[in-house]
Amino acid sequence: MGNAALRDIAVIEEIPFDDVEGVVAVDAHNWLYRYLTTTVKWTSSEKYTTADGTEVANLIGIVQGLPKFFENDIVPVMVFDGGPSELKADEIESRREQRRTYEEQLEVAREEGDELAIAQLESRTQRLTPEIQETSRELLRLLDVPVVEAPAEGEAQAAHMVRRGDADYVGSEDYDALLFGAPLTLRQLTSKGDPELMDLEATLAHHDLTLEQLIDAAILIGTDFNEGVSGIGPKTAISAITEHGDLWSVLEARGDHVEYGDRVRALFREPNVSDDYAFDPDLDPDLEAARAYVVDEWSVDADEVARGFERIEESATQTGLDRWT
Amino acid sequence: MFKAIVSAETLTSALDSVSVLVDECKIHLEEDGLEIRAVDPANVGMVDLSLDAAAFESYEADGGLIGVDLSRLEDIAGMAESGQLIQLELDEETRKLHIQIDGLEYTLALIDPDSIRQEPDIPDLDLPAEVILEGKDVNRSVTAADMVSDHIALGVDEGEEFFYVDAEGDTDDVHLELTQEDLIDLQLGPAHSLFSLDYLKDMNKAIPSDTEVTLDLGEEFPVKIYFGFGEGQGQVTYMLAPRIQSD
Repeated sequence: MGNAALRDIAVIEEIPFDDVEGVVAVDAHNWLYRYLTTTVKWTSSEKYTTADGTEVANLIGIVQGLPKFFENDIVPVMVFDGGPSELKADEIESRREQRRTYEEQLEVAREEGDELAIAQLESRTQRLTPEIQETSRELLRLLDVPVVEAPAEGEAQAAHMVRRGDADYVGSEDYDALLFGAPLTLRQLTSKGDPELMDLEATLAHHDLTLEQLIDAAILIGTDFNEGVSGIGPKTAISAITEHGDLWSVLEARGDHVEYGDRVRALFREPNVSDDYAFDPDLDPDLEAARAYVVDEWSVDADEVARGFERIEESATQTGLDRWT
Repeated sequence: MFKAIVSAETLTSALDSVSVLVDECKIHLEEDGLEIRAVDPANVGMVDLSLDAAAFESYEADGGLIGVDLSRLEDIAGMAESGQLIQLELDEETRKLHIQIDGLEYTLALIDPDSIRQEPDIPDLDLPAEVILEGKDVNRSVTAADMVSDHIALGVDEGEEFFYVDAEGDTDDVHLELTQEDLIDLQLGPAHSLFSLDYLKDMNKAIPSDTEVTLDLGEEFPVKIYFGFGEGQGQVTYMLAPRIQSD
């Protein structure tokens, strides 16, 4: 999920929710994943498991997560990942492997009755199953929250939408948003309290780098798509790029090598994104249908979602002018 | 072809009233004046601005379209002292705008209009109530409401014949009533709508305090706010969509 070392480079500040307005293109997998892990951690599994054993913790997560947007007058547009980039397949494979290890550990923890270990491991073994993919989209549709399907990385598509002026912010916890050229990224949309704003232009100005150079520095540190050069941290990466100009010159000077360096670079510089999307930011949620879908159709415990639906109902929603054209 | 000379005040007023909603906009260089129409990404607030050729010291245009970065152009216009004239000329070949202010020459790179968000359709609104008041009363209402809440209700009491402003906060409330006598004019009609102060505060910044402002209102309908600038040769119309409780 991106490289946290980028945090040391990025210009980030906490901003009051009141100062945030407009449309947020949310990296949907990133957002859902956060809610899945917290729901699974704090809610007992029978509350979101159907009679035939299908787990839909995502539905609780969505109902708990959306009010935050509505109450603060922000329009969320959920951008879903398309097929994984070829290179990222490695990461998915390694995550899968890691999950298998967690699952084995989970078995042991269950046998031993170690509650804390079970909670921790359960949250890590969550994945976006086909049911989660499908039911998330359907619930969002009923709540009239726009969904955009990215050709590849949801984050890259979200950044593209902000660059085109169709959204005001990318919503993601992932620092990679910066490398995809997202002008403004909101972090901590899933936490309590105010969000953080990550500012690309300020970041580039602070280090006196171009976006291309920032990408090169990130490749040296390591990204989702490549291992970094061992011994290069954020500070070293920035000063090396400043000194030598770009990735190749740095590698040449150090006698180092980055596997697929040029392809990783291209993934950030020219990500696979699409102009072929449209959404209506004027939301008109059908709460009755949404509640029936979650509680009746997917047998989620009504108490778990009552407060979330209430919060959505109470938040007077901002309409759009196109309702009158 | 576009060549014009305009006072710094008039140009600044025009730019400021658009930049409260968007960062970039298209400017239509019509034969009889400039026209700008823009909406924010959430499609909540819209501005429709026209500035007649008569507002300029001199004006020549033949229907071109340019895209500008508003804060850049505002910064340049800000270099002019009050009373100074700003000369604008479009270089068709390089697609750059040459700007001259008392010997200072600035060449501004323009933005491809196709890369700027599409201009909105203007909503067709038939609003029953009309309130005409001074800009300073709009400012007073918005400023007071902002102290207690994020939202403001604007409405007309048909029975008691007054225009009112309501803002309810978690602990404090604000209420203001303006009767026929306090207003320049009031046309009664059913009107009560809730608006986001985030937008209204920004729009308020562009409203001069000594200007006559007209508010057209309805029941859970957008508000239309319009006023003149540039000695009456310019006209700004804002439209702001209401907040509606979902049910």
